[in-house]
Amino acid sequence: MYLPDFEYYAPESIAETCQLLSQFGPRAKVIAGGSDIIVKMKKEVLAPEVLVSIKNLAELKKIEYVPGKGVVVGARVTHNDLYKSKLLAEKYASVSNAAGQMADNQVRNIGTLGGNISNAVPSADLPPIFIALNATVKLEGVNGERTMPLEDLFTGPGKTVLAQDEIITEVVIPDQKMTGSNYIKFGLRKSGALAVVGVAVAVEVENNVIKDARVALGAVAATPVRAKKTEEFLKGKTVTDELLAEAGVIASGECKPISDIRASAEYRTDLVRVFTKRALRKAIDEGHV
Amino acid sequence: MSVKVNKDFSYVGKSLDRNDSFLKTTGRAQYTADLKFPNMLYGKLIRSTVAHARIINIDTSEAEKLPGVKAIITAKDVPSMKWGLSPARFDENIFAIDKVLYVGDKIGAVCAVDEETVYKALKLIKVEYEELPAVLTWQEAAKEGAPQIFEEYPGNVNTEIHHKFGDPDAALKEAYYVRTDRLQGQRTYHAFIENHCSIGMWDGDKATLYSSCQSVHYLQYHLARVLGMKMGDLRVLKTHVGAGFGGKLDPTGLDFSALILSKMLGQPVKMFYDHEETFLNGHGRHAITMELTTGVDKNGKVLAHKFKAILDGGAYTGLGIASTYYAGSLLGVLYPIENYQFDAYRYVTNLPPCGAQRGHGQPQPRYAFEHHLDLIGEAIGVDPIDMRLVNARKNNTVTTAGYEVKSYHLGKANEMARDASGWKEKRGKLGLGRGIGVGNGGFVTGAGFCQYRTDLPHSVGMIKIYDDGTRAFVYSQAVDIGQGSDTVLLQMAAEAMGYPYEKCQMYAGDTDLTTLDFGAYASRQTLMAGWAVKRAGEDVKQKILEQAVEMFRESGRIKEGWAYIGNRELRPDDLDCKEGIVFVKQEPSLTLTFEEVARRYFVTKGVLIGRGWYHPGKLGGNHKGAAVGTSPAYSSATQIAEVKVDLETGQIECVDTWDVHDSGTIINPKLFHGQVHGAFSMGIGETIWEEVKFDDKGKLLNGNFSEYRLPTALDMPPVLSLTVEDSWEPNGPYGLKEVGEGATTPTMGCVANAIYDAIGVSMTELPITYEKVWRALKEKREKEQK
Repeated sequence: MYLPDFEYYAPESIAETCQLLSQFGPRAKVIAGGSDIIVKMKKEVLAPEVLVSIKNLAELKKIEYVPGKGVVVGARVTHNDLYKSKLLAEKYASVSNAAGQMADNQVRNIGTLGGNISNAVPSADLPPIFIALNATVKLEGVNGERTMPLEDLFTGPGKTVLAQDEIITEVVIPDQKMTGSNYIKFGLRKSGALAVVGVAVAVEVENNVIKDARVALGAVAATPVRAKKTEEFLKGKTVTDELLAEAGVIASGECKPISDIRASAEYRTDLVRVFTKRALRKAIDEGHV
Repeated sequence: MSVKVNKDFSYVGKSLDRNDSFLKTTGRAQYTADLKFPNMLYGKLIRSTVAHARIINIDTSEAEKLPGVKAIITAKDVPSMKWGLSPARFDENIFAIDKVLYVGDKIGAVCAVDEETVYKALKLIKVEYEELPAVLTWQEAAKEGAPQIFEEYPGNVNTEIHHKFGDPDAALKEAYYVRTDRLQGQRTYHAFIENHCSIGMWDGDKATLYSSCQSVHYLQYHLARVLGMKMGDLRVLKTHVGAGFGGKLDPTGLDFSALILSKMLGQPVKMFYDHEETFLNGHGRHAITMELTTGVDKNGKVLAHKFKAILDGGAYTGLGIASTYYAGSLLGVLYPIENYQFDAYRYVTNLPPCGAQRGHGQPQPRYAFEHHLDLIGEAIGVDPIDMRLVNARKNNTVTTAGYEVKSYHLGKANEMARDASGWKEKRGKLGLGRGIGVGNGGFVTGAGFCQYRTDLPHSVGMIKIYDDGTRAFVYSQAVDIGQGSDTVLLQMAAEAMGYPYEKCQMYAGDTDLTTLDFGAYASRQTLMAGWAVKRAGEDVKQKILEQAVEMFRESGRIKEGWAYIGNRELRPDDLDCKEGIVFVKQEPSLTLTFEEVARRYFVTKGVLIGRGWYHPGKLGGNHKGAAVGTSPAYSSATQIAEVKVDLETGQIECVDTWDVHDSGTIINPKLFHGQVHGAFSMGIGETIWEEVKFDDKGKLLNGNFSEYRLPTALDMPPVLSLTVEDSWEPNGPYGLKEVGEGATTPTMGCVANAIYDAIGVSMTELPITYEKVWRALKEKREKEQK
C-alpha cells in the first residue's frame, strides 16, 4: 500500500496529451480524478512509469447542448458534475440520477465520466444509461479523432478499443425520439456499493404503444450489453404489466453473469428480470427519470 | 429499589460536550500514527502467506542489502515465552516458531528508515514453507483424524464448557410446548477506523510504548512478562484512540516489535498496520453454531432451556475462553430459567484468531434466543412482547447461577418500547413485505475479576488540585476509545468535588503518570473508574471542607456557639461545596470560594490530592466459569425494529428503530444516545451485511470497507432512544449502569424478528443478506405452488 515512484506530466492541450501517450507507449497511463488508478497503483495492480494528467484540459469539463448534435459531455466531468447538472436534470435526469447513485460523495467529487468509461469495469454505472440513450463517444489520438457508438468501445472486462495514444474526450447524447429513460442500480447497500446489477432502458411510447426501446445491462456480462431480443419483443406492443413482466423474463435470458463475492449468477439473472420490468415502467410512466 | 435521580446535580445527568470534541472535529487530535519523534524508524510485520505450514527457511539476505533497512528480526531474535490473554491458554509467540497457523500469522518484523523502504524490503524476504493440511471450519477441525493445529488441544478443542442447573430434561418432559431450533452466526470484524500502531523507545533501562490500545495496564502486564521486564520499567501510554470495540485488547506483534527493535537500534520505532492487516490481526466476533431447545408453559414462561454453542475460534486463544463463556452465561440474567444447560466447544482453525467484539460472545446467542422465543410464541399463540414480559427478570433478584441482580427493569423497557413503537397497531398488521420485531439484551457493567490472578483493586483514581485552586487534574488509566469515558469521568469527579466541570482536566491512559485502571472492556469504566474518581473527588471535597472550617473560624465570621449550629464548634459536615462555592448548609449566604480554600490548603499543608479506590468485592456465582458473567450491575434493554423487504429482490431496509434502556442513572444523555445509535449501526450491519470471508486456502477475501460492508449513514434508520428513568443502581456511582456493549446485544434479534414478520420465513443464518432473503422467498413460492 505504498505509491511507487512515477513521472508526472500535466499537458495543456489534447494534442500534447496524445503526443506524450504516444511517446511513452505502454509505460504511460492517463490520470484524471485518480479514484481508480491511484488505488490500483498502491495495490500494485498497475505500475505505470508515467502518469499523464488531463486536469489542465479545461475543454473536457463541459456539459452543454449543441443544437443538431445533442448534449455534449466532456470526459473530465465528475460524477457530481453530472449529478448536479441543470441541463441533464431537465433533459435526461436518468443520467444525472445514475451518476448520483455512484460510489460515495468523495469519489463522486473526483471520479470522472472518462475514467468510469475507459476503465471498462463491467459494473460501471454510467455506460448502461448512455448506451440506452444511444450515446456516442469521441476518441482523440495523434492521428486525429474518431467517433463511435459507446457500446462499441468495450471489448472485455477492463478492455476497450482505445489505442495507446488515444483519450476519450467527450460523450454525446443525441437528440432523442425516446420519450423516457431510466437506470436502476442495485447495490448491496445504499452508498459505497458496486452495482450487482444495473439496468438502463430508453423507450419511445406513443398512445401507450412502444415504438422503440433500448435496454442496456451492466454487471451481468464481460461488458455492458444490449438486451436486443427484449428490445425487439417490445417494439409495436401495447404497454401492459404482463408485457413488461415478460420483457423482464426475456432480458434475464440475455445476460451472462458470473458468481462472485457479491452475488451468485442465479441471483443476478433474476434481478435483471425484476429491474428490467421496473425500469421500463418508470421510463414509460415518468419520462427521463 | 427505585430512587429518583437527584435533579440537583450540577453535572451528572447533563448533556455536556465531549472534552475532546473540538480537537477531533477540527482534525487536531493526534493519534498514535500521527506522532513523530526524532530519528524515528518505521517497521512492519512479515506475515505468513499460507494457512498452515512449517517454516523451513526465512531468507532475508536480499532485504538486508536494501539501503535504508535497519533490522530484520524473526523468532530467533526474540524471547520465546508464550503469551495470551487467558493464563489458562497462553499459546501465542511473538513470532511463529516452527509453524505458522493462518494466512497473516506473524513471522518477523522489518525496520527501515522510512515506510517506502519497509514495503520494498518486505517484498524481498523469501519464506520457504512446508505446507500442512489446513482446517478452515470447525466442522473440519472436529473430524476424526483432522490435522492437529496445536499439540495441547487434542481434536482441536480449545475450550469446552458444560453447565447444568436444575434438571432440564425432566422439566422439558413436563413442558406444555417444546421446540428446538438451529441457528448460525458469522465471523465479523470490529471495523474501527484507526488501525493499530505502536511506537517504542528507550532511555537507559526504561522503555516507553505508545500504543493504540484499550488497556494500558494489561498491555504493560503482558509485554513486561514476555520481555522479562519489571512493570515499572515499561511505560505504556496512548494518545487519542480511534475506537476499539474489543479489537485493541490483545497485545499485537506491533507492540512487541516496537519495543524489541527500538532497544536493538537505539532509535524510536513506529510499527503500523494498514486496514487489510488489521483485518488479519483479527480478534473479532466468533461465528457460532447454535442449537436451542426450550420448554415453556402455556403462557410462554420458559421452564427449561438447553443451549449448545460451537465457536470457530481461528488460530490462538486470545480472549476466546471468555467469549465462549459469555455465549451462555448471561441468558439467565435476562430471563430467570431454573433448569438450564449450556454446552459449548471452541475449536481452533487456520484462520485469524477470534475474540471480543462489542457484546463479546453474547450478540449471536441473543439473536438465536430472541428469534427462537418468537417462534415459540407463534406456536403457542402468545405475542412476542408478552413472551418477554412473562419471562423478564425482576428487580433485586438472584439468577439460577447465583449472580446478584440489583436494579433490573427489563419488563418496563419492553412496555415502553411497545408503546413508543406502536407495536399493537403494527405487529402482524403491516402486510407482506413489512414487519416489526422485538429483541431484548443487556450486559455486565464490568467484569467481577481481573483478567489475570491478582489482588489489585480494579480502579484507582487521583485528583490533584492546582496550587491556587484554579484547575483540577483527574488521573486514571481508563482509556477513552471514543465512547467518551474521559468526559463522564470528569463529570463525576466535578460533581463529587463540587468544583466547576470546565476547570477539570483529564490525564488518562498512561501507566507512569496516571493511576491504575484495567481499561476499556466489559463495559466497566463508567462504573469502576467512575467509583474511583468519584471517591477521589469526595476525598478532595472532605479536605476542602475541613480547610474551610478552619478558615471560617479564623476569620471570625462564625463564632463558637453560633445560633444556627447549636452550642458547639462548626464541623466540616455543616458545610457543602457546589460548583466551586463552599457554603454553610444552614446559612448558604456564608461562603468561601473553592479556589481560596484550596490555595490556603496548599500554603499550609502542601499539595491537595484526593484519592479513590474501587474493588467490586466478592460477587455472586460459585460454579466453574462464574467469573465470566458475574458483575456489580447488569443493564437491560429492549429494541424494536421496523423493516421493509422488497419481495422480489430480497432487499431489506430498516425503516425505524426504538431502544429503551435500563442503564440506571445516565451521566451524559448525549453520549448515552450516541452509544445507542452506534450500537444499532453495528447490530444492523451484523444482521444484514457484515461477514469476513476467506477463500478455500484461508486467504482473506474482503479485507476492505468496500467489500466488508458496514451500514452507511444512508442505510441507518431513525433511532428513538429512551431510558427507564427511575432506574437506580446501588452498586454504581450515582446509580449508573453500562450502555456501550449491552446496546448491541438486542439488535440482531429484533431486526431478524422484524424480517420474519415481514416475509413469514424464519431466517436462521447471519448475515441475513438480500440474496438469502430472495432465495428463501423463492423457495417459499415454489413450495406454495406445489
